[in-house]
Amino acid sequence: MSLSASQSLISKAAPISQGAEAAIYKVALSSDATPMLLKYRFKKQYRHPSLDANLTRSRVAGEARTMLKCLRSGVSVPGIRMVDATEGVLGIEWIDGQSVRKLLPGGAEDDDEDEDDRLANSDTPEEYGVSADAIMQFIGTEIAKMHLADIIHGDLTTSNMMLRHPRRTGLPVQMFLVDFGLAYHSSLTEDKAVDLYVLERAFSSTHPESEPLFASVLQAYEVGMGKEWSAIKRRLDDVRLRGRKRSMVG
Amino acid sequence: MPGRTKRTSPLKAPDRAYLALGLEGSANKLGAGIIKHAEDGSTTVLSNTRHTYITPPGEGFQPRDTALHHREWALKVIDDCLKQAYVSLHDIDCICFTKGPGMGAPLQSVALVARTLSLLYDKPLVGVNHCVGHIEMGREITGAQNPVVLYVSGGNTQVIAYSRQCYRIFGETLDIAVGNCLDRFARVINLSNDPSPGYNIEQEAKKGNRLLPIPYATKGMDISLSGILTSIEAYTFDKRYRPDGGTDNPEDDIITPADLCFSLQETVFAMLVEITERAMAHIGSKEVLIVGGVGCNERLQEMMGIMAAERHGQIFATDERFCIDNGIMIAQAGLLSFRMGFSTALAKSTCTQRFRTDQVHVAWRK
Repeated sequence: MSLSASQSLISKAAPISQGAEAAIYKVALSSDATPMLLKYRFKKQYRHPSLDANLTRSRVAGEARTMLKCLRSGVSVPGIRMVDATEGVLGIEWIDGQSVRKLLPGGAEDDDEDEDDRLANSDTPEEYGVSADAIMQFIGTEIAKMHLADIIHGDLTTSNMMLRHPRRTGLPVQMFLVDFGLAYHSSLTEDKAVDLYVLERAFSSTHPESEPLFASVLQAYEVGMGKEWSAIKRRLDDVRLRGRKRSMVG
Repeated sequence: MPGRTKRTSPLKAPDRAYLALGLEGSANKLGAGIIKHAEDGSTTVLSNTRHTYITPPGEGFQPRDTALHHREWALKVIDDCLKQAYVSLHDIDCICFTKGPGMGAPLQSVALVARTLSLLYDKPLVGVNHCVGHIEMGREITGAQNPVVLYVSGGNTQVIAYSRQCYRIFGETLDIAVGNCLDRFARVINLSNDPSPGYNIEQEAKKGNRLLPIPYATKGMDISLSGILTSIEAYTFDKRYRPDGGTDNPEDDIITPADLCFSLQETVFAMLVEITERAMAHIGSKEVLIVGGVGCNERLQEMMGIMAAERHGQIFATDERFCIDNGIMIAQAGLLSFRMGFSTALAKSTCTQRFRTDQVHVAWRK
């Protein structure tokens, strides 16, 4: 049986990492072409084949659709390079840089990384020519633009934000929101407030020292959201009080 | 996990053999069990008795009737438990009972029995969280060291992982529990409640082969099940639905109860396995333990096994003696905390319907 175009692309791609849902690869269509990132939702053997095929197709298509909507609304997300929903492959622009998690203090301390990785990842915000506070401004502004377009990311963490390296790429420094696997469409204040709350919790758990920095994220978010902010702020206070989890019944 | 430093357990080896009686009655099962922690560190189940309140097909168990059942059977079940273990109540070190979560009236009747025994024989009481009981018994029986736990039963659906003396909830149901979803559907299609509605759904599903589209509702690490129940119920009003199973001709465009059970199981279990896999990837664990009544479902165990094998991990599961609510798990978790110096004063030996897994201080683990 011959491989499909997507399958043969994956077979020559370099694996980067594997999460629960998908594997990440880096591949270039030709030797001198700019590389792209492949997010491959591989088949789950435990799931009924037709259920699996349906889910994979709708998730890949949904993620691509959300990213396109972000692009149209001016949110900084990587460009889409290819979509093969049937095979479960999504190709997006390769961002040469580092995740915000690794750039902030505390974020690089990851148990499952070995020493070599840590040395290679010793990037600092200074090397990117921006201060940590400027990164927070980027985050707040981009989330605000996304929420104004009624898109909820669903999994906002500092791992899901990439900073492009200015010198290595020759392009201005820019922050990108990535991984729209859990994103959905909603105009509800509640959903936007929960989205922010998830990020706040991620900040306090991964970057205990830089917690005050989250205030600058909210500041930039406030500027971006304009008059919508006051309602979201009120709701965010509510969400903080109750937490995300309900009290268990029965 | 590679590179993990060897940690010493805060639980000291026992200076003598300890015996604990566990009493459980948070839902429709009344259970009693006696566990022994020997000097050499080994744990033995001396007895594990249970009586289940079974309602007619199409009916669930009401709190009042369930409490009545527990009161009627308490003496017999505890008596059998002591006889099988060849133990007198005078030899017991502590009496453990379910503090919560569960149905109020059944919990109270069992707590009352525990209090009475405690006063009669002058034994300390230990209130136990039902979920922690399941986890500790599962770990003891299977030998799993630090697994991600999927706790699935009639009242609970949680993905749990241990961290810093607490069983943290990574994901859970946003509305009804998975066992509740299955049980209620069994009522809709009039399946028997004997031995349990979930078991009968499992047998029925083996005959089904048609996967009908129903919602698939995972939200990050959480799931939602109430809409799925509504939508699978709606198929019983479909004009293609044949409650009697229809003809044997596979060409016919009909929907049988077996098809519905099959579709419900495949979809709901895929959701459970997916959120468990997310938690495993998140914390980097390779072990998964399934506990709770729905955990004896062999299809769920099979699916979880495939997922674990794909991640080069291992699955741990127990059979119905320890999956379904039982007294021995309460004895196990209770004795662990008793050996850490914990006991519940008589005045505090209340029960509560709401008692989250992460509210318990797990003193016996490092």
